[in-house]
Amino acid sequence: MKAYFLLQFKMGNRRMIDFGLPLLLGYALLISAFLLFSNYLFDNTEFANYIYGLLALSMVSKFSAYARNDFLKSIFNKKHYKRIRLAENIICCIPFTLFLLYQKQFLFCILLNILVMLLALLKFHTTINFTIPTPFSKTPFEFTVGFRKTFYVFPIAYLLTYISISVGNFNLGVFAMLVVGMVCFSYYSKMENDYFVWNFNVSPKEFLMLKVKTCFTFFTLLNLPILIALSVSFLDEIEILIIFFILCYTYLATMIFAKYSDFPNEINISQGILIAMSFMFPPMLLILIPYFFSRSIKKLNTVLHD
Amino acid sequence: MIKIEKLSKFYGQKQVLNTIDLAFEKGKIYGIVGENGAGKTTLFRCISGLENYQGNITSGYKNLKDHLGLLLTEPFFFPKITGSEYIQLLANARQIKLTNMEDKNIFDLPLNQYASTYSTGMKKKLALTAILLQENDIFILDEPFNGVDIQSNLIITEIIKQFKKLEKTVLISSHIFSTLAATCDEIFLMKNGEIIRKVKQADFSNLETEMKNFTIGNRIDKLELK
Repeated sequence: MKAYFLLQFKMGNRRMIDFGLPLLLGYALLISAFLLFSNYLFDNTEFANYIYGLLALSMVSKFSAYARNDFLKSIFNKKHYKRIRLAENIICCIPFTLFLLYQKQFLFCILLNILVMLLALLKFHTTINFTIPTPFSKTPFEFTVGFRKTFYVFPIAYLLTYISISVGNFNLGVFAMLVVGMVCFSYYSKMENDYFVWNFNVSPKEFLMLKVKTCFTFFTLLNLPILIALSVSFLDEIEILIIFFILCYTYLATMIFAKYSDFPNEINISQGILIAMSFMFPPMLLILIPYFFSRSIKKLNTVLHD
Repeated sequence: MIKIEKLSKFYGQKQVLNTIDLAFEKGKIYGIVGENGAGKTTLFRCISGLENYQGNITSGYKNLKDHLGLLLTEPFFFPKITGSEYIQLLANARQIKLTNMEDKNIFDLPLNQYASTYSTGMKKKLALTAILLQENDIFILDEPFNGVDIQSNLIITEIIKQFKKLEKTVLISSHIFSTLAATCDEIFLMKNGEIIRKVKQADFSNLETEMKNFTIGNRIDKLELK
């Protein structure tokens, strides 16, 4: 077990070195970014607990990937496998646990750790060969794949909107809208194989515009029920609603441009930090959007041509 | 016509393609054979424009890649995308409007299932179907027969023969000599990043004997099998 975790540690370090970060600086940056983000979240929203919990669970859930668990089961016996799964989930959750304790959110802290342990012990994989239907089948792939992975979020967001209208809490409605925005944002976090970019017979600029157009259309489609419901119920707040909606568009476009700005590589840590900073200081987008856009054009030029 | 002049490719210090000169004519089928690591896939990636290279690759097209269907040795699939969505994705990329996809499913693939759950052979057939529906003029097929069942092998061979009639240019790499001999007009033998032989159809049988003698030699005797 010790050897396994040492190997995981080494792999993590290699990933950081691949990002071009010296280890000490990398860890310092990671801890600082985590603390800054956590502080910002708890200072600025009433729903920090929930967002925090969701973030921790989504991070931990990556360890539950079927192929990965299959591999672990093939090399460890049942007892060791369960121990490893429990240990890695709890270790991954430690930063969140510590910050929740610091925030005196004891109940949330216990609840989160119970969920994290359940995630380690329960098997979610199903052998049922069922294809989740999606309204985005005709225009693969980001929303097609993303929707299937996160389809359960949308009923929750729509339910939150309903609750916000029922109790007259506009902020909760905006939160629901932002949840959909963040989920769509996550669809663009992974770089596709260069083959799928190469296949396009358009220029880099046309390619990016095509991606933005698809993203805006589908994001609008998913958010329309929330937007309409909130506009009707909170007519006085419609300006705020429009501002948040435009902000969602802007961040989505930024993410698409950032994604291809280091093509064919994944978004690197410095780009990630820039995006994270822009969440705290949105005017940064005025510089980031043209910067990421011009870099993407340059990078995409290697496989797409004018 | 595709003309390759003095094509070289380095990965760091390692030279994987060494001053290759080749020409591919319209309506002809070309086979590329060689050991694993000889440089076949890299050559294909350079022609497709997926890799930077030294030298020249010219064609009659403004952008060769826009007329080229590329079948990779191991096609990549997204985790939650169905067979039909994969085909749609590749068609959308070339602005091709697809009609009657079910009728064109000549390999009888379960198109409504996630492509990532397909077997190796099914994945290959799906990737091939997708590029066939892109209406390309040139095809690069990297190991098209690998992992594919015998029935589909026959279909692929017939498709390649059909391409010849349609004046398409096809480049195939394969380790199955019989399929190359049945379809190709010319075969290039690659070794260590170089084209060491160009063989016309009339000499295919000699090439096979030569390759057998060269490759097998007395290697198996060394095992002293009992």
